[in-house]
Amino acid sequence: MAFDLNLTTLWLLFAGPLWAAVGLLLLPRAGSSKSADEAIPATRLQIAGVISGFALGPLGISLFYIAPALIRRATLAAGIVLAVFLASQALVRVTDPQLPSVLWLLLAGPLWAGIAAYFIPRQYRAVEANDDNVLTAAALGGFAIGPLIFGLMWKHSPKISRDWMIAFGSLGAWQIYTLFAIHNPSNPCVAAPFHITYLTQQTANGVVIGTIYSLMAVGLTLIYSVQGIVSFAHGQLYMVGGYFSFYFLLFGSDALSRATGVEISINPILGIPVAGVIVFIIGAVFERVFLKPMHDGLIERVSEYAILITFGFGFFIEYTTLAIAGPFPQRTDRFIEIRRFTFPRTQITDDFFFGPINIIGDRAFAMVIGIVLIFALLYFLQRTWTGRGLRATSQDRQAAAVTGINPTNMNTLSFGMGSMLAAMSGAALIPIFAWVPWVGAEMVGRSYVIVVLGGLGSVPGALVGGIIVGIVEALGAGCHPDPSRGAAYKEAFALVIFALVLLLKPTGLFGREQH
Amino acid sequence: MNRKALSLSLIALMALLALFPLGIAQADEDCEFADYTITLGGLAPMSAPGAVAGGVAMDWAFAQAAADINAACGVEIDGAHYQLEVITGDSEGSPERGQAVAERLILEDEVDGMVGVYHSAVGLATMGVMEENGIPTIFSEPWNDNVSANGIREFDGAAPRFDDGIDHIFRISPTSSMVGSVVTDWLIALGVQDVILIVENTDYGQPAAADEQARLEAAGVTVSQIDIELGTEDFVPILSRIQARAMPPDAIRIVVTGETSFNLTQQMAELGIAPTPETICVTNQIAFQHVQYWATVPDGNYCAFNRVGIIPSLFNELAVELNTGYEEAFGDIVPSFGMASYDAVWMMKDAMERAGSYSDAAAIVAAIEASDITLTQGRYYFDYGAHNPDLPEGTPAYMWHQWPDPIVTVMQYFEQGQSSLEAAVVYPEVYQTHGSAYIAPGTSP
Repeated sequence: MAFDLNLTTLWLLFAGPLWAAVGLLLLPRAGSSKSADEAIPATRLQIAGVISGFALGPLGISLFYIAPALIRRATLAAGIVLAVFLASQALVRVTDPQLPSVLWLLLAGPLWAGIAAYFIPRQYRAVEANDDNVLTAAALGGFAIGPLIFGLMWKHSPKISRDWMIAFGSLGAWQIYTLFAIHNPSNPCVAAPFHITYLTQQTANGVVIGTIYSLMAVGLTLIYSVQGIVSFAHGQLYMVGGYFSFYFLLFGSDALSRATGVEISINPILGIPVAGVIVFIIGAVFERVFLKPMHDGLIERVSEYAILITFGFGFFIEYTTLAIAGPFPQRTDRFIEIRRFTFPRTQITDDFFFGPINIIGDRAFAMVIGIVLIFALLYFLQRTWTGRGLRATSQDRQAAAVTGINPTNMNTLSFGMGSMLAAMSGAALIPIFAWVPWVGAEMVGRSYVIVVLGGLGSVPGALVGGIIVGIVEALGAGCHPDPSRGAAYKEAFALVIFALVLLLKPTGLFGREQH
Repeated sequence: MNRKALSLSLIALMALLALFPLGIAQADEDCEFADYTITLGGLAPMSAPGAVAGGVAMDWAFAQAAADINAACGVEIDGAHYQLEVITGDSEGSPERGQAVAERLILEDEVDGMVGVYHSAVGLATMGVMEENGIPTIFSEPWNDNVSANGIREFDGAAPRFDDGIDHIFRISPTSSMVGSVVTDWLIALGVQDVILIVENTDYGQPAAADEQARLEAAGVTVSQIDIELGTEDFVPILSRIQARAMPPDAIRIVVTGETSFNLTQQMAELGIAPTPETICVTNQIAFQHVQYWATVPDGNYCAFNRVGIIPSLFNELAVELNTGYEEAFGDIVPSFGMASYDAVWMMKDAMERAGSYSDAAAIVAAIEASDITLTQGRYYFDYGAHNPDLPEGTPAYMWHQWPDPIVTVMQYFEQGQSSLEAAVVYPEVYQTHGSAYIAPGTSP
């Protein structure tokens, strides 16, 4: 096949149009912040946005965003020349019989996404229709069905439900999959007859690890929703939860063995509540001592203080643990003695089979623990008086106080519970991963992505966000055209989804607007 | 706290501080030490993302060597005895951080020599700093070939690192090529045809894998490479990709260090990919630390691993003594980089004594080149350097200022929870302990 799907081509066809759309959306905002004398016509800014985005990507957009005055005819002319040159290069590279589909999926799709995302919300506002979710639906629809989206959404401006986005998103995903299949026919994600099994395997891998990610992210989102701060100690609380479980099992098993004279090994599942309780107390005490003054108005620069104090707390935990536990990796016994669950290969027709699907036993068990804990938390938040108090405080502290809820106690409870959830996820994972005092660093970075993806403050959002991140990472690593690089880019795939969600739905999937 | 309590606390603290030097003096009361203390800078990864477990072992070895040297009346130069101290600097496994720490050790702490370094990236980044400042240096763990080769040839477009006729950098760990050749020779001897290399994306992993790939392909073996980032915990998606192959590979070779290699090996075993009757598992040398290995890779029985350093059955008296101390401190067998770090400090002491100076870098370098001393890892000497600058044709450039005799073996566990002292040495044949080049899963030698 003559089509060369290398980085340059990807830039020219995919990233270029995408950045053009970003430039189209962003640059007019830069111009609007200038005084009347300095104002630059919006059309010129839009054109500059498209050209600079296509030709130079984020660099060009940033340049004009910071200094819109740079947009002069000469600059634009140079940009046009460059853009035309790049576009012609793209056409030269694409000499494939599949040219129409390639052009559509890589070039026209993103371009129509940008155009639809720009114009359709304006039309909704012009006819005074509800424009919730319109930006997202328009962008996804533009990508999936191009100019037809205007026929669907422009004239009647229908109310956009989540179903619209799911439909457009699925259609867009199918198109990307088709393009991928054209250019990577031997990739296990598309090569029949094994691809269904393989995709199911990778999706299952993603759901299992994603649910575990969610458990940690839920704690972070709980703290944010009530206190409005991001805990930078969350990764270390996750780590120390694992260690509390480890030492409880170690000393507990030893004490029981000595007391009974029989070798007894406590199941790691018992370490989970123990770690949770200990870290709940640590978190609650920390909140009372170090965060309460912030809520009491004793701290001048609250945001900076919250960052620094939680950061410092995290450092303290990590290095204290390093001093006590040492740097050598630890791990507890298994939850269950089944190494892996296997769904056997099943012949469906002469040409088609399904399976085998393998799930590591302890991971499946940890996933179940994660689901149970998340649903227990949801029950607590929805059905108990204290849980409702937490939710009320997260929505309006003053109104909650009027109804008899003590916001100070709710702050302590939220930080304690958030820390507890981090610790319990750590205790659930120490039978699965080699545990070292810096093990939280990778996990916490992913948690921040998950909570923003799901919507800051949303518990269901954290659950869904975690599963999405898990699936995207698994499919990204498993389907990457270059098998040698798939694993190295694993975390980057989740960040791409994260960036797209921020672009299309800045509040996250389940987040609410801040008023 | 009232004033009286505060005063009492201060007095107690001062008394404690006063006792400290007294204790040291008492320990060395037989020796008459000069006022000056010779200091060496020890570079080791003491915090993440570096291999902290390795750094802690190296730091312990530095301190142990200094304590042993001081207990033997320190460094004797022209009849005067000098105490020796090693100041450990935390490289964090990062080249930038390593450079900054090396500069701080040289310029602020004014060290007289440098030892240590675990990560190749740190070695490559810091060797210029040591060279610029004329600090004699003995690296004890970085493997990248260019660490020693750069003494005589261009590296990444840069000229050979010394232009004043003195190259200050020496290495007593093996090179990646030395290690790779043993593992690949073993795999070729076993007749494998299809190998997957899982490689960390670092200055150690990539060149080492490139070298192994070239050797295997030269022998007609098909090689696929998978790159991973250090610190990754979940490898199941990429391992599922290996499982999706039409035929399982003959061997999977893990060129990954630290706990990342433990996670990878365990997940590979849990998924039933390797070790299996079809697929040989060759994991990282850190598997030799059997306590850590079995704690984190409980399903890793029958995995082979490359072992660097002298095999336990050949430990000399000094090595046994060091190992006993290490086992008391950490409950595990002393790793090769611990032994090499210990030896590097002793080699520096020996060179300073023979040079008759702790500050004349040229004399110390010449003395290191002329080293002939037996320590925990065996007899140290350097074939090529300013004393013998012409490498014969066919001799790799990395042999410059390189200890030529590090022992590299392939070992294999064959019982669950087995001590590495009892694991089988399977290659090279001359070191074989159980008469077998490979122990198939489910069998015993």
